[in-house]
Amino acid sequence: MKRAVAMAQFQVEVVANRALTGGYFVLELASEQDNAVGGAQPGQFVMLRGEWGRDLLNGRAFSVLEAIDARRFTVMLKVFGRGTGKMREMQPGERMTVTGPLGRGFPQPDAQPDGGAGSGRKQLLVAGGVGLPPLHFHARRLVGRGKADAVEMFYGGRSAAELVLTEALDEWGVQTVLATDDGSRGVEGRVTVPLTARLDAAAEAGEAVEILACGPTPMLAAVRELGLARGVPTSLCLEEMMACGFGVCLGCAVPVYGPKPYKYCCTDGPVFDAKEVRW
Amino acid sequence: MSAPTPTATPVPLESVELACDFGPLKLRSPILTASGCFAYGQQFAEFMDLRQIGGLSTKGISPLPRHGNPLPRIYETASGMINSIGLENVGCEAFLTEKLPFLADLDVSVWVNFFGTDFETYVDCAKTLSEGGEGRIDVLEMNISCPNIKKGGIEFGTVPEVAHRLTKACVEASEVPIVVKLTPNVSDIVAMAQAVKEAGAIGVSLINTITAMAIDVRSRRSRIATTYGGLSGPAIKPVALRMVHQVAKALPGFPICGMGGILTGEDVLEYFIAGAHCVQLGTINFSEPGAALRVTRELRELMAELGIERVQDAVATLGGYEAEPAHAEVSPWA
Ligand SMILES: Cc1cc2nc3c(=O)[nH]c(=O)nc-3n(C[C@H](O)[C@H](O)[C@H](O)COP(=O)(O)OP(=O)(O)OC[C@H]3O[C@@H](n4cnc5c(N)ncnc54)[C@H](O)[C@@H]3O)c2cc1C
Ligand SMILES: Cc1cc2nc3c(=O)[nH]c(=O)nc-3n(C[C@H](O)[C@H](O)[C@H](O)COP(=O)(O)O)c2cc1C
Ligand code: FES
Repeated sequence: MKRAVAMAQFQVEVVANRALTGGYFVLELASEQDNAVGGAQPGQFVMLRGEWGRDLLNGRAFSVLEAIDARRFTVMLKVFGRGTGKMREMQPGERMTVTGPLGRGFPQPDAQPDGGAGSGRKQLLVAGGVGLPPLHFHARRLVGRGKADAVEMFYGGRSAAELVLTEALDEWGVQTVLATDDGSRGVEGRVTVPLTARLDAAAEAGEAVEILACGPTPMLAAVRELGLARGVPTSLCLEEMMACGFGVCLGCAVPVYGPKPYKYCCTDGPVFDAKEVRW
Repeated sequence: MSAPTPTATPVPLESVELACDFGPLKLRSPILTASGCFAYGQQFAEFMDLRQIGGLSTKGISPLPRHGNPLPRIYETASGMINSIGLENVGCEAFLTEKLPFLADLDVSVWVNFFGTDFETYVDCAKTLSEGGEGRIDVLEMNISCPNIKKGGIEFGTVPEVAHRLTKACVEASEVPIVVKLTPNVSDIVAMAQAVKEAGAIGVSLINTITAMAIDVRSRRSRIATTYGGLSGPAIKPVALRMVHQVAKALPGFPICGMGGILTGEDVLEYFIAGAHCVQLGTINFSEPGAALRVTRELRELMAELGIERVQDAVATLGGYEAEPAHAEVSPWA
């Protein structure tokens, strides 16, 4: 299994810790020398750990939100437990250890400069909660290559406050459909509501589309159902408990159909074909 | 506190010698990496020069490949983690053809951790690895302690007579020396060590993980699908040290490979003083894949600072406290 970029472990400094609405925050991290995350593909992730002594031992996994340049990148997160709680309080100048970039990124919609073949289909990006970062990064990359129209974003949250970083999508000209449970912004209801309408329209028009989704498991399960029922290729970006992130602890198993009952989220994923996931 | 601190005369870094013996084995360094925490080594080559470690213990190998347990398989707890991976591995045959050549090329001490699901498969596995290894395996580390397999296994690691019988059969089936990895989930660790020593094991690895659990109060389920798992990491180091010391005291000179929660060179020295001849690093490899080299550097510096030139000068050197003066109602100083 050859990676696009070799993984590595290196030190970074917190450059900024910016609060967004809805409890989300963005950490900007920078290393003194060029680091491997600069070459990360959307969907790849890093393991992050602060100087936390003998506790909070394992790194925490976060998708790359943006590889700004060869030294700086960002992640977006929310407080879930002890580790993310500490990260919320981190101040500029504090140090962290990064392992990455890890995993395999999203499939590309078009032929790649390095010769990799793409699907040629329009990509419907479906994001919920902390599932936004890898899809946001994917859209950013395509926009950077003048391909804003290769993707459409479907982004859902409980309320308006939980929808973040949408200005960038507007600015880039990425067509975006928002949905909130309480109707405070965009369509009222789950993100699957507008997605269903879009999939049906595509089927009617004979338009080739595919789905890339990242978010809470119930959302992913619903998206898989919708996509596969219509024969639409569907990729899910999954989260599993991880201790190492590079294929040695075997903790991050993902149940799959196929010759073996499990694959590994950190090395085979985190992006999986929805057909193979065994939930 | 009446115990005087021994005064240390530092020695130059260059005069610290890490090469050491583990029974009949020569180790380049006493710092190895632990089973299940280093896979089959390859991934770590991206992070460090593997030739600088003393050796490594592979993921536990069984005669046939095994798939792992349902998820969740891991959960992080205070200063440690619980795992129930289920001894997933590629099986003897694939190990010998696909994994061993890489390890043999490293020229470090290769410890192949193995297990069976019953008496016969243990012996089979030892024989197959010993023969198929063709001199490239330095130690067969027999895991009689895994809490994560269901069938019968528990008695191998907890009943001294059973462990004795199993060890003896594997020692007879194998040309490669056998080190038995003991479980801490017993009331008398010395009896277990004694039993496998008498059966011909060249040493013991101490300790495997401690059976444990954690609960999600919202779902009222265990954080681990198989309910219980094995606790590792700094949380278990005090228990592991105590067991190493008990065995070292009861069986002086019998080689012990100590492990459990090692993060620093100072942790390693604690294990030596308690009586270990070498150590393995486990959980730390997940968050710091280059840890073995940092710990080696720290150990060397600490030995120099404390004037310890060779590993064996530290092994089993735990001192005691002087007796307190007898109590009296009136101070003799009055
Ligand atoms: C590939 C991948 C990408 C991710 N990307 C993001 C992201 O961009 N933004 C974001 O906010 N979160 C992301 N997560 C989830 C994030 O890793 C967890 O929220 C975080 O580990 C929780 O840590 P904690 O210490 O606060 O929680 P605790 O519950 O205290 O952590 C205990 C242990 O469980 C693990 N853990 C807990 N929840 C999760 C989870 N949902 N997934 C994986 N491991 C978990 C932790 O790593 C830790 O080992 C991602 C997870 C994966 C696997
Ligand atoms: C994820 C994981 C998998 C393990 N797998 C094995 C195994 O296959 N065989 C074995 O003998 N020990 C296994 N162990 C136990 C370790 O080798 C070691 O004895 C234990 O973790 C204590 O050391 P540590 O605290 O440094 O991790 C495993 C430990 C962990 C954390
Ligand atoms: S996180 Fe360790 S194998 Fe995937």
